[in-house]
Amino acid sequence: MIQLSYLDYLAVEGKSFLHRLSPKLKIIGMIFILFAIVTVRNLPGLFFLYVFLLCLYFMAKVPVRIFPLTLYPLIFAFLFIFLSGFQLFFILLIFLKVLCGSTGVVLLLATTPYPSIFSVLGRVLPSSFVMALFLTYRSVFILLNVLEDTQHALYLRGGVQWRHPWRSLTNISNAFGHLIIKGIDASEKMYESMLLRGFKGEIHYRRE
Amino acid sequence: MSHIHLPDGVLPIWLWALGFVVVILIWMILFRLMKKEELTRRLPLLGMMAAVMVLGASVEIVPIAYHVNLTVISGILLGPSLIFLATFVVNVILALFGHGGITVIGLNTLMFAIEGALGYFLFHLFWRLFRRLSFAVFLATFLALAVSTFSMIGVVSLGTSHYEELIHQEKGKGIVGFEFGKEKEGHQKEGVPEKEVNLNRFMAIIVPLGFIGWVLEGIITALVARYIHRLRPDLLRLNEESR
Repeated sequence: MIQLSYLDYLAVEGKSFLHRLSPKLKIIGMIFILFAIVTVRNLPGLFFLYVFLLCLYFMAKVPVRIFPLTLYPLIFAFLFIFLSGFQLFFILLIFLKVLCGSTGVVLLLATTPYPSIFSVLGRVLPSSFVMALFLTYRSVFILLNVLEDTQHALYLRGGVQWRHPWRSLTNISNAFGHLIIKGIDASEKMYESMLLRGFKGEIHYRRE
Repeated sequence: MSHIHLPDGVLPIWLWALGFVVVILIWMILFRLMKKEELTRRLPLLGMMAAVMVLGASVEIVPIAYHVNLTVISGILLGPSLIFLATFVVNVILALFGHGGITVIGLNTLMFAIEGALGYFLFHLFWRLFRRLSFAVFLATFLALAVSTFSMIGVVSLGTSHYEELIHQEKGKGIVGFEFGKEKEGHQKEGVPEKEVNLNRFMAIIVPLGFIGWVLEGIITALVARYIHRLRPDLLRLNEESR
């Protein structure tokens, strides 16, 4: 999740053709990719789609450092193969579907700033839902700072040592508790500052 | 663990579409019932708790693919209606951040919401019964997670015939998976495929791993609640019930 700020930086600072493409077109493209993932049921078709997405990934000059993010959902897909009786075809099918989906999404996020995505979503989804998405996105950044400070404090004071699991678990839980309390305090301040800036139940996004 | 970490395209379309329909219906009902001013006032809190859940999900215990959900503590702090809205937002963000499964957002929201809302009600029940915070929170979390894991298994089991079809369709089908009813019947008559999908095996893997997760999350949530109670007891609103 620490990659979030880096992804955001890439989306804003990138200069490739995909970065310049309209967010609306990229979201439509993502919907087509999802449609293909849901309907295509043969390995060559999915493999072709994956290679196509990989080409786009490297053409958009998205750093390799982000690439492991596209492999992350494989951990969960691995659990699901127990359902199939270890059928190679089924395993490959699932893995390719996972990789196509995650690569498509990472590509979208690494080339499109979040506010642009919310702005497009705001035209089709209820405003309160998009506002909740936007506030969550903003809150993740606020909490990331708190989390990093808390993590440093914990490690510097030897708070997480696997030789003392109970103490470590207590400290990790206290860190989450600290994060929640700080988060609630920050949300109250956020609401007050929103009111001061004339918030009347709606957030207005800049047009593309 | 208690929500479906399935890729897009594995569950049958009717199942995940139904998930979206149910979530949209609940969303609409909640909007009707909640006052607009109240919702607007609590949106920053909802966003913040959703962000806490998103960050909790980034703490991964790799060998068992488990991450802390923090849905029960969020449910206790937000209440049953707001936790539903928060879990929807969390699932959208998680799907966009590498967890995958955009099409199963609806179903995952239902699993998360069951966990959060049930956790809220169970916690208040156990608090009234035992008056011991850590125990009430642990028990509520453990039971809420167990129920949501079994509902996840239930949802996965609904797609069994679809998985069978996916496993056996390699024997001469087109690129795209649309089939018409008559063709499908004919295919099944020609040769009845063996049952490859084994839900018992799936459960044998998920339930023990889930059990470790329920205990772990139960302990963490109880400790988090204890910490909050020590510093900001007003957030848990326990005094209101004591009266």
